[in-house]
Amino acid sequence: MYLKIQLEWNVLITPENLDPRGLLLQRSIIIRLLEEFANRKATKDHGYFLSVTTLEKIGEGKIRPESGDVLFPVRYNCLTFKPFKGEVLKGVVDRIVKHGVFLICGPVGNVFLSVKTMPDYQYVHGENPTFMNNESSKIEKGAVVRFVVLGTKWVETEKEFQVLASLAGDFLGPVS
Amino acid sequence: MSGVEEEENAAELKIGDEFLKAKCLMNCEVALILDRKYEQLQQMSDDPMNQISQVFEKSLQYVKRFSRYKNPDAVRQVREILSRYQLAEFELCVLGNLCPETVEEAIAMVPSIKSRGRAHDDDAIEKMLSDLSLIKKFE
Repeated sequence: MYLKIQLEWNVLITPENLDPRGLLLQRSIIIRLLEEFANRKATKDHGYFLSVTTLEKIGEGKIRPESGDVLFPVRYNCLTFKPFKGEVLKGVVDRIVKHGVFLICGPVGNVFLSVKTMPDYQYVHGENPTFMNNESSKIEKGAVVRFVVLGTKWVETEKEFQVLASLAGDFLGPVS
Repeated sequence: MSGVEEEENAAELKIGDEFLKAKCLMNCEVALILDRKYEQLQQMSDDPMNQISQVFEKSLQYVKRFSRYKNPDAVRQVREILSRYQLAEFELCVLGNLCPETVEEAIAMVPSIKSRGRAHDDDAIEKMLSDLSLIKKFE
């Protein structure tokens, strides 16, 4: 689910970017915030960071005596994406292997649909392997699949979620 | 998967208080916002690629592909119509994203609309879907 949330971060401004003219300082703070936001990628609690939407408040700066840097508390709104267990989503098939299907769903690069969670479907071996069921519903590379999130796991080292998907349920599977 | 996550279940609308209060957005709404942000970042920055992350790009690609409604007026109408049906933010967005065609499909996509004791009867869901279908999907 895409979410709009409010966050508070501290933004560090180095002395050479401290301009007595207010607007330039504000610009430095915003640029720094946008860069940090883009580099953060994701957190376990808030999901993937898409974009800062609006700046709410820049607080009083606090000087760090050892470096002369100034730390500004910044409150802003942003968009994130977090997958929830039980949520129904669409994904695009990236890779097919014997034991399942890997899907991409927006910023989530590895949604895994295991053979165990799509019992109707059988692996069809070939140069371009697919999964097929008895009603000739076909899952192939590039196809769009509607799935339900069975579980999510946060991987701190990669800063991303692993998502386990399932097709067990009505109205799930490949869609045109 | 930790204990906390085991309890999470969007199908029953258990997604944590923090997120029940957060504003959920439909794909079509995200597409409008990101499109505008993309333009702004190009203009305001000497080096926009510093601020446009992979997450941004992949999300934009995704929401553009999976938005049923492109026109800003239509997007507004979808939220307006769905807001009349006492849905949670999360439910509203799943319905707006997946555009179910039948009552059975709507309940399969958002089981909580039936089970949260708000007694959405089938007629109300039917009415909601037919209201939605009146909105022009593509411009």
